Amino acid sequence: MTTIAVEALTKRYRAVTAVDDLTFQLAPGRITGFLGPNGAGKSTTIRVLLGLARPTSGRATINGRPYSELRDPLRQVGALLDPNVFHPGRSGRTALRIAARPARIPGQRVEEVLELTGLASAAHRRVGGYSLGMRQRLALATALLGDPQVLVLDEPASGLDPEGVAWLRGLLRRFADEGRTVFVSSHLLAELAQTADDVVIIDQGRLVAAGPMAGLLERRQASSLEDLFLGATSPAQSAHPALTRPGSLS
Amino acid sequence: MRSLIAAELLKLRSTRSAWIPLAAALAAAVLAVIANTSAAGHGSNPPLSPAALPGLLRASGGQLVDGAVLLAWIVLSAGEFRHRTSVTTFLGQPRRLRVVSAKLAAAALTGVAVGLLAEALSAATSAAVLSAHHVPFHWAQPGMAGAVLAVPLLAALYGVLGAGLGLLLRNTAAALGLALMWAFVVEGILPVLIHAPGMIRWLPEATANAVLHGASATATTLPAAAALAILTGYAVVLATGGAIVTTRREIGTTTG
Repeated sequence: MTTIAVEALTKRYRAVTAVDDLTFQLAPGRITGFLGPNGAGKSTTIRVLLGLARPTSGRATINGRPYSELRDPLRQVGALLDPNVFHPGRSGRTALRIAARPARIPGQRVEEVLELTGLASAAHRRVGGYSLGMRQRLALATALLGDPQVLVLDEPASGLDPEGVAWLRGLLRRFADEGRTVFVSSHLLAELAQTADDVVIIDQGRLVAAGPMAGLLERRQASSLEDLFLGATSPAQSAHPALTRPGSLS
Repeated sequence: MRSLIAAELLKLRSTRSAWIPLAAALAAAVLAVIANTSAAGHGSNPPLSPAALPGLLRASGGQLVDGAVLLAWIVLSAGEFRHRTSVTTFLGQPRRLRVVSAKLAAAALTGVAVGLLAEALSAATSAAVLSAHHVPFHWAQPGMAGAVLAVPLLAALYGVLGAGLGLLLRNTAAALGLALMWAFVVEGILPVLIHAPGMIRWLPEATANAVLHGASATATTLPAAAALAILTGYAVVLATGGAIVTTRREIGTTTG
């Protein structure tokens, strides 16, 4: 069973090809790390997946449908794209209540996610006074509001302190163990090495490796995720057609 | 749709830069009644009488209320892109036309509510002032129905104008600057610049004044019904432009 499917996805901005014929699928119950150098097209892929950008060609679906066609999307998909998507003059609690309203998520759930993310005591304060880590927790709280089956997170550990990173690791593992799908884009390779079951690596918008992490490490004779990443994204490797094949992690 | 409108109204209540102008306009509505009644009987002003009530309502619910509703919805609509709250908004409801419709409906509702509240405050203040001057207070005055309807209706249209302009430009400073430039400069000099003094009656502020005062047609004023139709047309054009831009453009984040 596939929850997230990216099929021959291409996204061009005038002369720049941000994502180039990208194909991969993710299965539930796994944490998948989404890796690539800066400008590789990770955030663009995620924005297309979440309906914030339109593909030039190809498609990206969640549970078989484009995000824009999902019923009650917040209850199916929790997304964290950026910690800076909150009005600085509103309190953390109000920001969550505003996000919850369209999905008719009750106020009790708002309090639950505030508690879960450790923001309960700061919920009455304005977001403008939050640290980066607190805004990141608020963004995570927003993603968790609908208790979704799929989590799509872009750099979720950014700004979190070590305790927060450990908490996040545990949270993602619990989610995957409950049979949910976790898709995490990150530059923190050491952290992903501890968290991810599978990896999708892209470079210059193209897929360069995809599969269970243990299998990829063995096949590429890499000693670590960093080795695997650097090997897969070096110019010589990424130009090698044999390494560029559609990835199915199902 | 109701939950989306509720979310938009919660955004209004939790954005100080949006509701403070509305509160200030309501306070100004009360002050306008006090100022107008204080001036009654002095100079060329007629003395206080029950017939003054429709005029007091119009004066208190006029340009300040319309301007405040316009400003509030420019701040709220363009602010979605300034603060990138549009990302959360469109993740919660990816059908963007529904979000736009909810914003326009919430803007119109705000206008109706603030317009009616301004009238209620004006009526209460008028009643107190008239009573203090031993002038009887009677609702049934010629022009009363027009005044009661015109104030919330105009404020609703200005709310839609503000929401549409904010969505169209997506830049709070540019949208506020354009609205202020239009109100204080462009509308005054445009007919002169293009040597068409009669065109002023077709412009937004002139049409709003014609609706508010229930004017009959003159060289510089359209009849109230025609002025209302023209002003509604401006609101529809801006709302449609805002909807087209919002549904077509991509939503960005800082992570690129």
